Amino acid sequence: MTMPKKLAAAALVFAAVAPGVLRAQGTLFYFELQAVGAYATDTRDFELFSLMPDDVMQKPSLGFDLVRRFSGRTRDIGVLAVQARLAYDNEGEGKLEPQLYNAYFRLKTKTFNFWAGHNRPALGISSVLDSHALLLPAPAMLGFGFDRDWGVGMERDFPSGSLAVSLTTGSGMPLHFRGNYLVAARLSKGVLARDNYSVGLSLAHGDILDTMGYDLVMDEPFAWDSAGLDATYAWRNFETRAEILLGRRDDAGTFLLFWRTGLALLEEGRLKVEAQPVLMRRAGAWEYSLGSGLTYLFNADLAGRFMVLYDGERRGARFVAQLYYYKGI
Amino acid sequence: MRNSNAKALAAATAGALLTAAVLLLHAAVGCDLNDPDRDVKRLFPGSTGYKTLYVSIAKRGGDELQKKIEARLGDKFTGLFETADVPYTMYEVYKGADLIGYIHGVNQKGTYGGIQVFLALDTSGTIRGFYFQKLTSRAAKAFRALSFGEQFQGLSLEDFYKYDVVSGTEDPAGPISRIKNPDPGSEKDFRAALRAAKKNLILVDEFLLGNAHLKYFKG
Repeated sequence: MTMPKKLAAAALVFAAVAPGVLRAQGTLFYFELQAVGAYATDTRDFELFSLMPDDVMQKPSLGFDLVRRFSGRTRDIGVLAVQARLAYDNEGEGKLEPQLYNAYFRLKTKTFNFWAGHNRPALGISSVLDSHALLLPAPAMLGFGFDRDWGVGMERDFPSGSLAVSLTTGSGMPLHFRGNYLVAARLSKGVLARDNYSVGLSLAHGDILDTMGYDLVMDEPFAWDSAGLDATYAWRNFETRAEILLGRRDDAGTFLLFWRTGLALLEEGRLKVEAQPVLMRRAGAWEYSLGSGLTYLFNADLAGRFMVLYDGERRGARFVAQLYYYKGI
Repeated sequence: MRNSNAKALAAATAGALLTAAVLLLHAAVGCDLNDPDRDVKRLFPGSTGYKTLYVSIAKRGGDELQKKIEARLGDKFTGLFETADVPYTMYEVYKGADLIGYIHGVNQKGTYGGIQVFLALDTSGTIRGFYFQKLTSRAAKAFRALSFGEQFQGLSLEDFYKYDVVSGTEDPAGPISRIKNPDPGSEKDFRAALRAAKKNLILVDEFLLGNAHLKYFKG
C-alpha cells in the first residue's frame, strides 16, 4: 500500500471513531456515501465505476469530508481539510481502495494564504470547480492537469479576482519523487458567486508523471507545458463554463476545448440539466466526447445523477447512474 | 502492508463508517463569504482580524430550537436551505483585541434558485451593511445597487418583528414598509431578501447575541 493510501486508511479509521469530538464550533464534518453503476455499449458490460476502471473518481464508496478551523483569540490562523473515501474497486486486487483527496493545511497570513499537502494545483477550471461528487468529467479527469496533487501553494484574493500559484509533484493521487514537478499559476478576474462571471488565465510547466488513479503508468517523468483560458458565466438559472488549453506533452502538441453548460429547473433548482462537448488533441490524435447529465436533489442530503457520455475514440456510449449522499454530523 | 491486512483494515473501516452513518443527523449547505479577507475589510474598514464560527440549530437545540426560531420568523423552515443541520458560518470581527461586529449570510429561495444575503452587524445587532453575495434575478443590478442595501442600515431585529414574511406586510407600517422594491416585477426576490434579512437577524440573535432581542418578540 502506498503512503497516500496508508494516510487515507488512517484518515478513514479516525473519521469512523472520532465524530463525537468533531462537533466543535470550528469544525465541519460530513459523511459521504455513493452508489455508482454504468453500462458501456462498446463492451456491453455493466461496470461499477463512472469512466475509467483505474481512475479514482466515482466508484461505489463511503467517505468523509472534514474542515477544521484554527483560530487565535481575535483571528483565524488556518484551516485543515481532509477528504477521503473507501472505494469498491472491482478491477483492483484488493477490491477496497482507500483514496485521499483533500489533505492539506492552509495557513492564513495578512498577505497570502499558503497551503501544503494534497490539494488542487493552480491550473484552469479544475482548480476552482468542485467536481468531487459530479459525474461529468472536468478537464483534469480528461488528462489535462491533476484533480489533486502533492505540494505547496499560495493564494491571494483581490477585490476583482484572485491569484494562485502552486508547486506540486505532478503525480496526482500517489506521491512519487523521480525528478517530477509541476509549477502552475492562475490569475482570475471576477467572482462567480458575486459577479456571476469569472475568467481565468493559467500557465503550467513541469516534468510530470503519467499516473492513472494510484497507478504509475510510466516510470520516468516527461515534459509538460500548458497555457489556458477558462471562463464561467451565470445568468438567471443558466450556467456555462468553458476552457481552452494549449500545450506540449512529451514533445507532442496538446489541445483541449471544454464546454459545459447547464440549466437549473424546478423549485430551488432541484433539477439540473447539463451538456458537455469536449474536443481534445493528444499523442498526435484528435478525440472528442459528448456528454449530457441530469442531477436531481431529492433533499438537502441526497442527490441522484445520470450521465450519458459518448466517446468518439471508443465509438461507444456510457450510461452512468449515481446516488450520492452527503450528510453532516 | 500486506494485501490481506489492507482488506481487513478497509472492511473494518467500512463497517465503522456505516455504523456511524446510521447515527447521523440531517445536513445541508451553509453560506460562507467567498473571500472573507476582502469582504470583512470592506464591511469593517477599521478591522484587524476576524474569527470564523460554525453553528447549527441541530447542535444547539434541535427540533425544539427550530420551532422557536420558526415562531420568531413567523414562517416554517422549508426546502434545501432550511434544515436544522445547516451549518451557519458566522464571522466575529475584531479591531485589535476588541470585538466590533459580526457578519453572517443565509441562503434563501429566489426566483432562479438560491440567493445569499449577508448582513454586517454591530455588536448590538444593528445592521450596518446589507448585500447580496449570490443573486441571479431579473433585477440583479437594482438589488445590488448601494441604494438598495442602504435602506437596511440602522435596522435591527426589533424592527423586523413587525414584518410578516408570509404576507409581506408590516403592521403597523414602519421602517420595513419604507424599504422600496427597486423592480416591482421582481416581487418574489424582494420578499426573499426581506425574509432572508429577518431570518439572518434571528439566527445572529440566537447564536451570538444571547437572544438580546427576544424581549421584543410578541409572538
